[in-house]
Amino acid sequence: MAIIEVHNLTKRFGQVNALEDINFKIESGDIVALVGPNGSGKSTLAKLIVGLDTPTSGTIHIHHEPPTKPGVPRVGYVPQHFALDRTLPMTVFEFLHLSLPGTFSRSVEESIVTSALTRVGIAGLQSNILGTLSGGQLQRVLIARVLLQPHDILVLDEPSASIDVGGEEELYSILQKLNKEDGTTLIIISHELDFVFRFATQVICVNRRLMCRGIPKEVLTKDLLESLYGSHTAHYHHDPNCDHHHHQ
Amino acid sequence: MLELFTYPFMQRALVAGIIIALLLGWLGVYVISRNMSFVGDGVAHASLSAVALAILVGFTPLPTAIVFSILLAIAIHALKQKSSISFDAVIGILFTTGMALGIVLLQFHEGYVPDLMSYLFGNILTINTSDLWWMAGVGTLIIIFLATARRPLAFLTIDPEGSSLAGIPTKRIDLLLTIMISLSVVLSIKMIGIVLVSALLILPSASAKLLARSFHQFLVSSIILAVIMVLVGTILSYVLNMPTSAIIVLSGTCIFFVSLFLAHLRSLEKKESTTSSS
Repeated sequence: MAIIEVHNLTKRFGQVNALEDINFKIESGDIVALVGPNGSGKSTLAKLIVGLDTPTSGTIHIHHEPPTKPGVPRVGYVPQHFALDRTLPMTVFEFLHLSLPGTFSRSVEESIVTSALTRVGIAGLQSNILGTLSGGQLQRVLIARVLLQPHDILVLDEPSASIDVGGEEELYSILQKLNKEDGTTLIIISHELDFVFRFATQVICVNRRLMCRGIPKEVLTKDLLESLYGSHTAHYHHDPNCDHHHHQ
Repeated sequence: MLELFTYPFMQRALVAGIIIALLLGWLGVYVISRNMSFVGDGVAHASLSAVALAILVGFTPLPTAIVFSILLAIAIHALKQKSSISFDAVIGILFTTGMALGIVLLQFHEGYVPDLMSYLFGNILTINTSDLWWMAGVGTLIIIFLATARRPLAFLTIDPEGSSLAGIPTKRIDLLLTIMISLSVVLSIKMIGIVLVSALLILPSASAKLLARSFHQFLVSSIILAVIMVLVGTILSYVLNMPTSAIIVLSGTCIFFVSLFLAHLRSLEKKESTTSSS
């Protein structure tokens, strides 16, 4: 069943078309990788899906409703750049407390926050001040925040951008677990083709226009990758006869 | 020295001081965290035109300035939303235009203008019982807003984009916050004056930010430091026979430098403990 439907979507900034005539559907429970070169409109598309911006023309429907419709948000969003004022004295608990869906007793609030932090592998950081966290820890706090709300769709804009290599693997495992256990549909903007081949069930390629859509192994051909990223990425082309992508 | 507490003018000044310290200490947390320091200064200076208009037509200055401050806050908010020029420039235009208009309006007043200097630099002798009632009434409304909107205000402060996604009416909260800042600044003018009022918005919260280890501590300590700043400044100004507003601001400056020193000591201790544990 399609839970996100995008029809003839165009977004223009001044005279520049950031996105042109985009059409696709996303099925419930998918892990969708949104790929494309820098400036291709990926982050713009993500912001349109979560309702932070509105299309110039065309429509987006989440569960048959526009994303900007007031009410309980069902699309969680982890931005690429979180503009944190590192001098602001706010603890991780206080930050997550702001996103709790309602008011509970202090002990219940603590247990909800602890559980979300445990799921993203950073239990015990409740009392730390946000500004003292590493980039990777902050990214996990942002993911923990979206877990506090009953979202059935999560949009993550380059979630591993500020995480080291070991942490990256762990992060994708956490997201995969979230998808399997809760049935959360994931839309992940990523430059890492390794992730796309290993974790994504669907891929959507954009470069202002829709360039491809489908199962990564089938649609991410050598020619398409070269046209998106240039010839240096051709080594990521997937060989259907192998289980893993290979380096040419 | 204790006889100072028996004087009615001093009793009024201390009550007024505590009310405005509560308001500006609390609002200051959002003002410095959201880089809105210039708003307080701008509103205070622009309200000179309201004070001048009230003196010219014979209205009571404080209620006139209260109405004007609400209109000014709405104008600031609208220009911020619609205009392509920077927020600082918007405040700068309103700030100077309001002040210039005030000076021009006063030229039409015949004779001595006794209230003007007290509005520019504050004068606790001019605070009357009617002013106290206005401060208590409007101050209570502001505190009710701050208490009920505490969570959305904190959310908006740390993450404007996220708060919008969470369904918080960010533009409405922003407008209300600007109105509350304008009202509080105008309520404080008789005590501390147009020229120095923004110090009460900035100094306590800037000091508290250096020492706090959570947002809750930040808020509570900003209010406490604002109250200390006003009480110490008012009492010292009586003892030293100096202008009250200036001594209040200088007390705040001392509090800020002590906080800076304590924060520095804490960071040194932290570095030492990190070095010894590694």
